[in-house]
Amino acid sequence: MAYFGNNQQRGELQELYADLNDLNFEKKKEAIKKVIAYMTVGKDVSQLFQSVIKCLEFQDIEMKKLIYLYIVNYSRQKPDDAIMVIQNFRKDVRKSENPLVRALAIRTFGCLRVPKLNEYLIEPLKDCVQDDDPYVRKTAVLCVPKVFEVSPELCPALLEQLQKLLEKESNALVLANLIQSMREIEVVNGKQLIVLNPKIIQKLLLAIDECMEWGQIFILDYLATYDPVDSKQAEIIIERTLPRLSHINPTVTFCAVKLILKYLDYLNNGDLVKNLCKKISPSLISLLSWNQPEIQYTILRNISLILQKFPILFENEVKVFFCSFNEPYYIKYEKLDIMVRICDSKNFHQVLNELMIYINEADPHFVRKTIKSIGKIAVMYDKALAEAVSILVEFAKNVQQTNEAVQELFIQMQIIYRKNRNLYKTNDSLKILFSIIDYANEPEAKSACAWIIGEFAEFIPKSVEKMGEYVDNFILEDRLVQLQILTSGVKLYIKYPSLCSALIQQLINSAKDSFNPDVRDRTYIYWRLLSTDPEIVKNLICYVAVGSSQFQKDIRLWETKDLITALENMGSISNLFHKLPNQLYKNIKVRNNNQQEVKIYKADEKQEVPSKEQEIKKDDQIQQQQQQPKQDFDLLNFEEPVSNNNNNNNNNNNNNNNNNNNNNNNNNNKIDVYDLI
Amino acid sequence: MISSIVFINHKGEILIYRVYKDDITRSETTQFCAKIVATKENKECPIINIDGTSFIHITIKDIVVLATTKVNVNVAMTLQFLYQLVKVCRAYFGGEFDENCIKKHFVLIYEILDEVMDYGVPQIADADLLKKYIQEGGLKPELMNDVEKLKQLTSQATGATSWRPPNLVYRKNEVYLDVIESVNVLMSVKGTILKADVAGSIQVKCLLSGMPECKFGMNDKLLMQREPRKPGQTTTDKGITIDDLKFHQCVKLPKFDKERAITFIPPDGQFELMTYRITENINLPFKIMPVYNELGKNKLEIRVKIKSIFEKNLFATNLAIKIPVPKNTANVNTNSAIGKAKHEPDQQGVIWRIKKYPGDFEALLRCEIDLGSTTNQQPWIKPPISMEFQVPMFTASGLRVRFLRIYEKAGYKPTKWIRYITKAGEYLHRL
Repeated sequence: MAYFGNNQQRGELQELYADLNDLNFEKKKEAIKKVIAYMTVGKDVSQLFQSVIKCLEFQDIEMKKLIYLYIVNYSRQKPDDAIMVIQNFRKDVRKSENPLVRALAIRTFGCLRVPKLNEYLIEPLKDCVQDDDPYVRKTAVLCVPKVFEVSPELCPALLEQLQKLLEKESNALVLANLIQSMREIEVVNGKQLIVLNPKIIQKLLLAIDECMEWGQIFILDYLATYDPVDSKQAEIIIERTLPRLSHINPTVTFCAVKLILKYLDYLNNGDLVKNLCKKISPSLISLLSWNQPEIQYTILRNISLILQKFPILFENEVKVFFCSFNEPYYIKYEKLDIMVRICDSKNFHQVLNELMIYINEADPHFVRKTIKSIGKIAVMYDKALAEAVSILVEFAKNVQQTNEAVQELFIQMQIIYRKNRNLYKTNDSLKILFSIIDYANEPEAKSACAWIIGEFAEFIPKSVEKMGEYVDNFILEDRLVQLQILTSGVKLYIKYPSLCSALIQQLINSAKDSFNPDVRDRTYIYWRLLSTDPEIVKNLICYVAVGSSQFQKDIRLWETKDLITALENMGSISNLFHKLPNQLYKNIKVRNNNQQEVKIYKADEKQEVPSKEQEIKKDDQIQQQQQQPKQDFDLLNFEEPVSNNNNNNNNNNNNNNNNNNNNNNNNNNKIDVYDLI
Repeated sequence: MISSIVFINHKGEILIYRVYKDDITRSETTQFCAKIVATKENKECPIINIDGTSFIHITIKDIVVLATTKVNVNVAMTLQFLYQLVKVCRAYFGGEFDENCIKKHFVLIYEILDEVMDYGVPQIADADLLKKYIQEGGLKPELMNDVEKLKQLTSQATGATSWRPPNLVYRKNEVYLDVIESVNVLMSVKGTILKADVAGSIQVKCLLSGMPECKFGMNDKLLMQREPRKPGQTTTDKGITIDDLKFHQCVKLPKFDKERAITFIPPDGQFELMTYRITENINLPFKIMPVYNELGKNKLEIRVKIKSIFEKNLFATNLAIKIPVPKNTANVNTNSAIGKAKHEPDQQGVIWRIKKYPGDFEALLRCEIDLGSTTNQQPWIKPPISMEFQVPMFTASGLRVRFLRIYEKAGYKPTKWIRYITKAGEYLHRL
């Protein structure tokens, strides 16, 4: 605590200066600690540089580490002073018998990042890369990219040395660091440095078994970017990776999943693919219920990608994505999103039942997303329509005040009506919606309401009055709402010419002076059309789209051609934001995947080999028909996953009181005591 | 890789600041502190991008542990590393991790940060191993001058069994096994099970000499099917289906993958050998049966019946059933035959506590809730009823340890102990 006091007096630096130059060792050490504490809180203590580095003459390793920390922090501000420590580093690297000291020196040396100091570093670094001690080697290997970043011109010999080391290194940990270090250099350099051959691959695979968890991640991560030469090689690498699915570090498991998923494309044995999928699925599901929400979140963000390419993995597993009451909302949002993606014509009932519960949650934003999800499902699956709409109507009945969710309700209902115009006949949804229509206050929701009034004017008792209100406030509305009021107003006029003649006059008068050119243009078009031939307007505006082809079901997140690149980057930041690496980072070049075609893995019993994805067509003509601003679903095809019908309902078994407890013999009374086995 | 690691308190003040790559400035971090941490926005998402810098963080109590980066790192790895870092710190500070102990031990934390990460690449981050060469107040000079010992240390640290030091000696060789299961259940309003799983963990305390090779066996269905049946053996125990297993790094994973045999050279002392997940044939230890009635405008009645579904000679301990009540609850009358039930306004619920609860037994709690008047028109959003308990000597999954064989050159016969316990994880019943 004492180090972090806020009572900074003027003479503090002088005091420290005096203490650092004191003859008493303990006093010096305390002073150094104070300097580091100041550094931490962001105070500039660079003036003490010379006094601090003088303390290096002591062999106390704790103090040495603190001084090194200080030097690393200020070396670029004081390059001339930093030269003075060079001798110290060189002595440590060359002379010290202690591997920890050698490693510490080389590690810190690399962090100085002053170009003119690096010349002095190259020779000792070369020695360290060949050091007998693996601990020094693993540190030295990571030192190379540090130097390379600042002075690449000094490094050609070092890079060669690294390549040689890759051939002969036997220690797994050094090898893992080596791979990571060479990858870092590749990023800076833009050139390929690691040259893989079967022997090296074999060595890396062996190293996975022997090195610590992070090393396993580096190697798996790297191998996931490699394209196996043939099915046989892919099979061997997958086989060696499979055991990692049982590692306790979730990232190791996840990297293994990534590697295997990528390599599946190279296998030509359909049965093997199926078996592998069976092994991967439970492992992934464990990660999804990991007890650290942050990890869970990163995995969830990657699920939509996996789901798109490997629908087979989450066959019948929709329950995994059910939200639990106490989860953080960032998890709940992701789960909701995935539930819509995983929803199909078989499990929609289960999904809707669950979504119904979420409508009662406290967070308005979450409820809104739930409403949106229900709307999406209703549009995607005709079978689900009635059920989804009844949930929405039930929600509408209980609305007592305006909130986010109500806005979404109007928006979704509009989309649903557009697709299923006859819906109004089958239930009282229109009446209920109209009773709460005053709660709409977001532009998009309001415009949805205006559309509903225009479209179903005949079936809403006071539609003309309501439209009158909208027209009265026309000038105050958002552009989106104005456009819709205009169209709906004309619709009303066509339907009730005599009743609405005043209304249309007022509307055109306000609209032709709108600040918005779009609104003005549309006003004039309607005006001219109405004055020349109202019949044309009728055909144009009261046109009921036949069929519902514009409501294709697509919830695809990635372009099919990007799937492989995305898969290789699974777990990375770019994937987390659902982007390709080159979209997020300018300096990254995406490797050209001269891959045959992207395979999609579905659970279809008849097909042994995974089927090819069909071309995606964008239906441009349909877009023209729509007068409305585009809704937020994509107009792409979507192939519904064909799933086999083995609905294993685990629940039934739960009440089976399996008497597995055979071992409960007479020891039962010792409740908290260990039993002998 | 990672550019810097920063510890921040809840006010957004920097406690520890360690830079690994100089592509990041301090002001970018202080901006994050001021904008995100101080406004609590960090609770909304574990990764935040601001102007090309990614801020990946976890929150432990009041401390935000942050990693910054400007490149496309593996986020899962970074998060896992931060958790591991906190674990290492806790191991050094006797299990604690708060602002006081960070300030008190900042020199040590810098030393740890220097070792666990180099150039933004995670390195050795195993607390037991680190303790061998990083200690508060510096290492003993004897070690620093003993080159042989140092070599042994570095070869252990970089070797294939980095988790176990050689040449351990115990006078009495003992192993303790703890099988701990958490049951997660979500029941619908009608009482059907929406989701049920068991998250299990096997904790081992290992006090063994030398380099013992251990082999561990459970009533795992897949393993038992592989074993040749001995003549005369009864076939009642067919084993259980385990959905997924995750092992400590000491377990030889290739061997498990091929033979489903769990073999390992254990670390010294306490460690988590494995975790597992089971979804089939779960024996739920408790059934909750709530009845909810609105008696007029300002009165509610909630009746909760619980039933224990395990053998009579077993006992559950420390039951706590939380029955949610509305915010505007004025008074609650409770009535139950056993345990104590009390309205706890800060928890927004009635907590019914029962110290000891026998197997195969039913109990009923009746709550009459008087509501105060409120201006809030919103209907009450009913959170689920939740339950806590422990049932010793019981596993909800039916998992049993069948053997633990230990082979060591010295040929000693260690004493082996085991106990089982089932706890409530998220044990929820929607109301």
